Amino acid sequence: MEYRSSRITSKYLRSRKIPSTACSGCGLGMNHKIVVQAVDELGLEVADIVWGTSIGCAGRQTFATWKGDGFAGTHGRAYAIARGLRIALPPEKKIILTVGDGDAFGIGLMHLIHAARSNADMTVIVNDNLGYQSTGGQYGWTTPQGSHTDSSPYGMFEHNLMSEGMDVLEILKGAGATFLARHVAMDGARAVETVKRGILNRGFSLIHMPYPCPTNFGSRELGSRNQVNIYRWIEEQAAPLGQEKENTVWATGIWHDASNSRPEFHEMVHDTVEKIRRTGTL
Amino acid sequence: MKRFLETGNFAITEGAILAGCRFFSGYPITPATELAEAMSLRLPQVGGFYLQAEDECAAMHMCIGASLGGMKAMTATSGPGFILYADPYGWALGCETPLVVLNSGRVGPVSGITGAPGQGEFYLMRYPTQGGNFETICLAPSTAQECMAMTVEAFYLSERFRMPVSVLADQLITDGFEDISVPENDDEMKEMGLRVWPRKVCQGPEFYPYTDELDIPPVVLGHNTGGICSDWTPTVEGYDIEEVEAHHKHAYRLIYKVRNNRHLFNHLYEKKFMDDDPDLVVVSYGTPSRVVNTAVIKAREKGLKVGSLRLINLWPFPDEHFTRKTKYLSVELNWDGELVREVQRATPKDSEVHFLGTCGDLPTTPDLIEAFENLLKNEPLSRKGWVLEEW
Repeated sequence: MEYRSSRITSKYLRSRKIPSTACSGCGLGMNHKIVVQAVDELGLEVADIVWGTSIGCAGRQTFATWKGDGFAGTHGRAYAIARGLRIALPPEKKIILTVGDGDAFGIGLMHLIHAARSNADMTVIVNDNLGYQSTGGQYGWTTPQGSHTDSSPYGMFEHNLMSEGMDVLEILKGAGATFLARHVAMDGARAVETVKRGILNRGFSLIHMPYPCPTNFGSRELGSRNQVNIYRWIEEQAAPLGQEKENTVWATGIWHDASNSRPEFHEMVHDTVEKIRRTGTL
Repeated sequence: MKRFLETGNFAITEGAILAGCRFFSGYPITPATELAEAMSLRLPQVGGFYLQAEDECAAMHMCIGASLGGMKAMTATSGPGFILYADPYGWALGCETPLVVLNSGRVGPVSGITGAPGQGEFYLMRYPTQGGNFETICLAPSTAQECMAMTVEAFYLSERFRMPVSVLADQLITDGFEDISVPENDDEMKEMGLRVWPRKVCQGPEFYPYTDELDIPPVVLGHNTGGICSDWTPTVEGYDIEEVEAHHKHAYRLIYKVRNNRHLFNHLYEKKFMDDDPDLVVVSYGTPSRVVNTAVIKAREKGLKVGSLRLINLWPFPDEHFTRKTKYLSVELNWDGELVREVQRATPKDSEVHFLGTCGDLPTTPDLIEAFENLLKNEPLSRKGWVLEEW
């Protein structure tokens, strides 16, 4: 089938990597498009952004899709790399990271918390396919309670970071993140507006974006790889913040906005070092 | 030239600054803590950045980030922290990111004894990460002054080879106070044999050429070169590829850029009384070498034909020093014998290779001389110290 690229695809993405090698029906492309659309609507150019990714479905499928400079860190380490990079890059360069849920909320959670603590200017898009899908479909730290996966054949029964009364965004808020939001992949234009605000925050922004995985999660939990099933299943359990229903797992929208309220990491560190260099003291 | 009575950690800090390092990230650990402290004091004075990390893994990853952003960066730790470098070390090797890593050896395994010197990471410096398919470069100074020089040299090599280069010291060198001369200008640096290579930027589009060539500038992000780097096997442009032929070519570069350009660092060794084909060659590196050198001088005074070979360039292992069939004695700060295995491998078949280990403390000169005498008389080495029945 011939692939015809849209204007924003040819402007921002590499033809070698788009379309990606993601499974048929994967929702990652929807999230990816939301982010690139937000970049475009902000009028940013390819040279304005360094794009980082991680491993797993979300990391590998988005790695090197960005036309400009980019990197992929190993499991969970992209935030630490990005913090070093944040110091070395000029402040006007944006850093966008597209990572997965296992990467951000599992193996990399400590680095993520410290990136939030330091309020390093970066926008982290956590593409959550509800578990470890590239390794075959094991439960993750935001997999809904009771879900059947390859490593929870009786249903996921442990507490996790999305259990009732708990929320991974709460942890990040406590750690000092200045912009936090959640959207599901089907949120479209609403999500684009949120991502734009995240990018505009000069500080640490994170947008948690659950998306459908028909191949592993859908087939195990819903018993079929029919894409419509998993899309519906996620949509039914998502509702805008303030309009939650009894079965709502993902309340969507801007969850915490303290944009530009706290000194940004690069700025603070550079200003401090400059003062010490000039005066020998603080 | 300025002179100081200071620690090895101080010397390393000054060496890093001379080499152009402006980014340090580390995690407090004895006996490398004072280096982090010295960096936190000195780097801001020269417009550089010190960032304390949440763990060693993050520390080295932040250094990777800074290096990717175009800065010369360094991290330092001791054995228990060095194992947390396994993850970023592999990344930096694969992406060919210049970095300098210092390991100040203490007594292990695990936390062991924090405030005593050990040499248990000889092989860890060769294999600091998983997967194989790479060579590493490791330099081992034996004095504070040499710590400074080898730090400068490590930065020089890391830029030219575009890879992480490690410096292996130990607790006695990094914590001990010594007379240190710090050059104040380029002429003085040259006079001391210190060389510096500037950071350059790879313009692409071939970011990972499959050659053993030196001096290909590293990938630096933020210059809109389209530079990309990842943990996967790269194509020449940097795209991830799952293909064995591409992997073979990538591995060829990682291995042979080092093996084929050893002339840049294989002059880093010290030989004492090695010109008259000694009957016993004592091999060592780091602080024990200082006792070995004294013992060899004294042994010569007693008429024993003993020579000392002190390795500075530890990895890739300098096989060329071991072509002669004679007796060898490896003196190390560990009980299990690490350097000795490599000496056994490198020496001609049927060479006699012996091992004398201590750990946490240096061997004494009389002990060494006794060992030399025994070996030259073809008598077995008697063990000193905590002689266990079944040792």
